[in-house]
Amino acid sequence: MNTNKGTPITTKDVLTFSVELGLSMLKSGAEIFRIEESIIRILQAYDIQRFDVYVLSNGIFASANEDLDDACSLVRHMPENSVNLGRIAQLNQLCREICDHRIDLQTGWTRLKEIRVQRGYPRWALILACGLGSGCFCYLFGGSAFDGLVACLIGAVEEFLLLIMSDARLSRSIAQIFSSMFVTAVSYLPVSIWSLPLHRDKMIIGAIMVLVPGIMFTTAIRDVYNGDYLSGAIHLLDALLTALCIAAGVVIAIFFMQKFGLEVSL
Amino acid sequence: MPDLLLTIIIQFVVAGLATFGFAIIFNAPRSESMLCGITGAIGWLVYYLLIHYADFNLVASALIATGILTIFARILAVRRQNPVTLYLMTGIFPLVPGAGIYYTAYYLITDDRSAFASKGTETLEIAIAIVFGIIFGTAIPQVLFHKLVRTKKGASHS
Repeated sequence: MNTNKGTPITTKDVLTFSVELGLSMLKSGAEIFRIEESIIRILQAYDIQRFDVYVLSNGIFASANEDLDDACSLVRHMPENSVNLGRIAQLNQLCREICDHRIDLQTGWTRLKEIRVQRGYPRWALILACGLGSGCFCYLFGGSAFDGLVACLIGAVEEFLLLIMSDARLSRSIAQIFSSMFVTAVSYLPVSIWSLPLHRDKMIIGAIMVLVPGIMFTTAIRDVYNGDYLSGAIHLLDALLTALCIAAGVVIAIFFMQKFGLEVSL
Repeated sequence: MPDLLLTIIIQFVVAGLATFGFAIIFNAPRSESMLCGITGAIGWLVYYLLIHYADFNLVASALIATGILTIFARILAVRRQNPVTLYLMTGIFPLVPGAGIYYTAYYLITDDRSAFASKGTETLEIAIAIVFGIIFGTAIPQVLFHKLVRTKKGASHS
């Protein structure tokens, strides 16, 4: 941060920057291997020879030049993360430019801060995208075009609810249970009450696809493949918990509908 | 035959749109979300054709489709100089067993033990097939991709 043109770049500067970049990657849901590699590449690009970097699914430990005068080490804890694929791509690009010395550390810091505060797509776009995704998945899994249309609506409302719940800082598991309950209930009611010719199982499947932990699962597999067993196991547990939350939501919704005497056959 | 062609086109486009939508939700860059959609559509099309026209079971189809889409995602990653996860994570979406999770939960609450067990096992099997699909796709050495695929510029670490 304090690398003016006059003062030389210290080991601490490089280590701090690389770890902060890695932390942003971790927060956006990158794999452990990519984060470790990015940090190591930046350190090597600035001729730091002796270092150790250890990244876990929710923290980074790094030290450099332990046995020299300018020894330094850093620990960062990152309790929560949310997937942001665009940010991973941008940070990857930034790391590449730093390593090729196309930009200096100071510009790097400015870019890193820009990337951190950058806003994603506007809310209406997310809601539309979720509707589109839910409707299309409903059709792919064997629903009719009409089912797809209704699933599209349900998916859009679901994303709206998810956004509200994330604003209210509700825990992720609770948000998942609620959304899957909501999806199941609204898919069942029109068929059970007005007996519309809809395939509710297909609509529910389409609308819960956005909750299904595909990304966490892929990260877990790639972590284990790269030998990061501990982080892989944590990510796998996260994916499994999400799947259980979705199932719990479906079960709770159907349980109450049975209690109120609605017909719940497939 | 025109029927088959029409089915292929419809399935490809719908799967592409579905993946595209979910890529937006997870903040994929605007320039890449289209390619994410194509990755997902390729994976789904392979899966769909294997099940309906080649008589493969769900697990084998998921394995092969995941393998092919992983390779496609890696080609894109080298070509576009982006992390492979960007294409892989979104492209995998059509194949993850969301339907399995729902049916398993449904049979649990309706007390149909045998259907619950068989759907639960099937969901788990598909998940494991996806694991091995990704592992096989990832096992191909990176050097090969750099030789075969022309990058936009310079060396990369995708």
